[in-house]
Amino acid sequence: MDINEILVIAMFLSFIALLFTGIPVAWVLGGIGVIFAGIGFLADMYMDTMTGLDYTTLGLVVNRLWKIMDNWILVALPMFIFMGIMLDKSGVAERLMQSMQELFGRVRGGLAITVTAIGIILAASTGIIGASVVLLAVMSLPSMTKQGYAMPLALGTIASAGTLGILIPPSIMLVIMADQLGLSVGDLFMGAVFPGLMLGGFYILYILITGIVKPDAAPIPPDAKPITMNAFMNVMKAVLPTLALIFVVLGSIFAGIATPTEASGVGAFGATMLAMYNRKFNFKVLKEVVGGTMNTTAYIFAIFIGATCFALVLRELGGDELIESFLTGLPFGPYGIIFFILGVIFLLGFFLDWIEITLIILPLLAPVISALGLDIDGYGVVDNPELVWFVMLVAMALQTSFLTPPVGFALFYLKGVCPPNVQLRDIYKGVIPFIILQLIGLLILVFWPQLVLWLPATAYG
Amino acid sequence: MTEIEKLPSVPLADGIDRFIQRIGLTVAWAYVALVLVIILQVVLRKGFASGLIALEELQWHLYAVGVMFGLSYAQTTNSHIRVDLFYSSFRAKTKHVIEILGILILVMPFIAIVFFHSLDFVADSWRINEHSSAPSGLGWRWLIKSTIPISFALLALAMVSRLIRDFTLLMRGDA
Amino acid sequence: ADKLLLKTPIAFGTHLPALGTPIAWVADQLKLVSDGKVKMKVYEPGKLVSPPEILDAVSSGKVNSGYSTAGYWQGKMPAAALFSAVPFGPEAGEYMAWLYYGNGMSLYQEMYDTAGYNVKVMPCAIISPETSGWFSKPIEKPEDLKGLNMRFFGLGASVMEKLGVGTVQLPGGEIFGALEKGAIDATEFSQPAIDQRLGLHKIVKYNYFPGWHQQATVFELLINKDTWGKMSKGQQALVETTCKASMTNAIAEGEAMQFEVMEKAAENGVEIRYWNQTMLDTFKSKWDEVVAEKTAADPFFNKVWTDLSTFRKGYDLWEANAFLPRAQK
Ligand code: NA
Ligand code: NA
Repeated sequence: MDINEILVIAMFLSFIALLFTGIPVAWVLGGIGVIFAGIGFLADMYMDTMTGLDYTTLGLVVNRLWKIMDNWILVALPMFIFMGIMLDKSGVAERLMQSMQELFGRVRGGLAITVTAIGIILAASTGIIGASVVLLAVMSLPSMTKQGYAMPLALGTIASAGTLGILIPPSIMLVIMADQLGLSVGDLFMGAVFPGLMLGGFYILYILITGIVKPDAAPIPPDAKPITMNAFMNVMKAVLPTLALIFVVLGSIFAGIATPTEASGVGAFGATMLAMYNRKFNFKVLKEVVGGTMNTTAYIFAIFIGATCFALVLRELGGDELIESFLTGLPFGPYGIIFFILGVIFLLGFFLDWIEITLIILPLLAPVISALGLDIDGYGVVDNPELVWFVMLVAMALQTSFLTPPVGFALFYLKGVCPPNVQLRDIYKGVIPFIILQLIGLLILVFWPQLVLWLPATAYG
Repeated sequence: MTEIEKLPSVPLADGIDRFIQRIGLTVAWAYVALVLVIILQVVLRKGFASGLIALEELQWHLYAVGVMFGLSYAQTTNSHIRVDLFYSSFRAKTKHVIEILGILILVMPFIAIVFFHSLDFVADSWRINEHSSAPSGLGWRWLIKSTIPISFALLALAMVSRLIRDFTLLMRGDA
Repeated sequence: ADKLLLKTPIAFGTHLPALGTPIAWVADQLKLVSDGKVKMKVYEPGKLVSPPEILDAVSSGKVNSGYSTAGYWQGKMPAAALFSAVPFGPEAGEYMAWLYYGNGMSLYQEMYDTAGYNVKVMPCAIISPETSGWFSKPIEKPEDLKGLNMRFFGLGASVMEKLGVGTVQLPGGEIFGALEKGAIDATEFSQPAIDQRLGLHKIVKYNYFPGWHQQATVFELLINKDTWGKMSKGQQALVETTCKASMTNAIAEGEAMQFEVMEKAAENGVEIRYWNQTMLDTFKSKWDEVVAEKTAADPFFNKVWTDLSTFRKGYDLWEANAFLPRAQK
């Protein structure tokens, strides 16, 4: 093993080790980056490596940081957070949750199912996981706690529903993948619809079954009434304003009034209007919302900023080459190779961000997959059907990586908005069943590619 | 909204934190401006077919200011995310030591790298009076770029405050 | 030094034909012709540093070289646009004539020097025209453009704005979604073979030509001046000659791969249209207005523009007589 490889592995291991000291994730990422840049520099001097790392090169961190700042697509993140906190402060969210719960009456897990349903709706309006997770948590966690849900179930539901956004279009991840592989964004968006809905369906099914098998985990509120026409009308009245808001956000996208990025601002504005309508809006509320948005946005972006330093140094140490040499020339059959690759991506997802994986690994894999000679039917409409299908497999594996400990970004975002008595280990425990569901979904996609390819073929045929 | 674990009070550190928070909460109004600019942009484009590149750019300017000044703000509210798997069961003394070492060994070098390199980055932009690459975009690019050194200086100050706090508490031997 | 490693972040992925493939070719050739003594390590966009940051990274020595197009720097140096693509500007042959045998190259280097950038510049690829854009309806007269929202990049955007078009400069990845949902009504991006990858033909059917805004696009290799100064005469010649060879390679590749894609698009129901004379005249007169503003605002822009215009006026005599007229269709 040469020195570069040892350094790359040492960098990974130090990162994981330091994470568990409880030092904030963002600073571990950034700090490890700087320290290993120093180590790389010394290795160049005394150990005949060629990392090229030094003080000047490390300055690239500033250029990379600037690209996070001038990224127009990321504007959506604080806006959806703004919307979420405003909905919470204005009492709208709680009312929505209550009403939906009434609607489900005596169905166990009704509230959790509501969360998943809203998660799917949010997923269709943005692809920003941090925003979805925070929004769902702020809106639903207090209600679920009050109703006596088992913490792991509540947290797992929120985290998993929140990550659907990276798969269900519009999705930044799919946009970048399309760009990397030269595939049509439209094909990928359409291809992701059924896989995304399938996962949402699995979540709901799981919650229903949990309600039956472990009734204590998802209790029915003591005052639950059977649904009458009257109750139904009351619920409708309560839900209407919020539904209108969601309609405005989604509608503005689908009617072509706003881009998904702008729709986030429309949502924030709409939530403020709702608060005014409910007479909950005043200067103090606005100040709290603004401060909360500032805080939440910042801790999410701190991780981006730390990660960009980490990734830069990892790359300069030769992390790309290490992963590449690991993946090429595997002695398996076509499906064997696919399973192996997915397995590796899944494992890398325990530690790396999807952006890194997409940028580093996906371009290396495309030729491998094309060369497998798989006979995947694109109905004569979808270009490179085998790649579209494979990208969807990777996308789902990566979506899972948001949920896998120790480095699961959805878990971090969720932790950020939970009350302090909720610990990360509760969240870890909660997501395990959902990770298993994801893996089942992945298996289904492997053996049933038409789930991916039928829709783009039909839509653009 | 976030219920933050309250840190024990240390007068000097409290003072610094209040100063940083006052700045942070003032800058935070950029997010309200952002909402309004987005609405304006949508209305102009759809209603009057005159979307403006300058407004599009103003959006990420406002967002960037919020994000960068948020870093130090979130530090003073102790909101940066930790993997608390073991951390939550550490004794207070252990936590103080970890915090101090973490800031000195990991955080400060990182902040220093960003801060010093960003000075050249801003100076270059100032020297050529950098403008948006879109002809009808915004000018004065050095102004938004200079949020990097300023916000990282504030972040360093927030770290110093935290160092003072943890060091004082460690000396005091608080449980 | 005997050996040289050029660490080269690039502005366009090497998987993109004509935009990105040339630099991969250059990297391969450098290694071959130098027997492995000069190597170029190419970093895909964003891996080390994102495209708009390449100039800063090379100039400050954070990397020792970079591959981009000068159009990206027009916010830093307005004249940079003229070294990348000029609306109603020269085609590839004339462009190269001005660069290599007119004053183009010395002005190009002078621009970076006067702005204080520590870089050595050389053209390292050139590509043929881009398409003029994708529209959801036919555009027959200037009024048809009024009120459209269009994604448009660079100097051409100023022309479109003068025609009452609301322009935005969405990143490549947002174009498809915005166009599909109608947040924008039209877009330009690149050549047919590249546009096809975005899938634009799946949503809008009117693809207009000629690309008056970009008849030829030059891509540049930037090398940190300290690195350049330390290179031997042989190494310098090696890099410069390989880049010149790359100009040939890139234009040949770009010319070869468009028609097949256009045929296929036409089969899929895309209408390939040529701007009528009224439209072309309108674009031209608005472009003249834009030029008047730009030359008044920036002295160096004016200097380059005047030189280029003088060269082109001379070339006109040759061009008008030497070439066969082009048959349309
Ligand atoms: Na989405
Ligand atoms: Na993970």
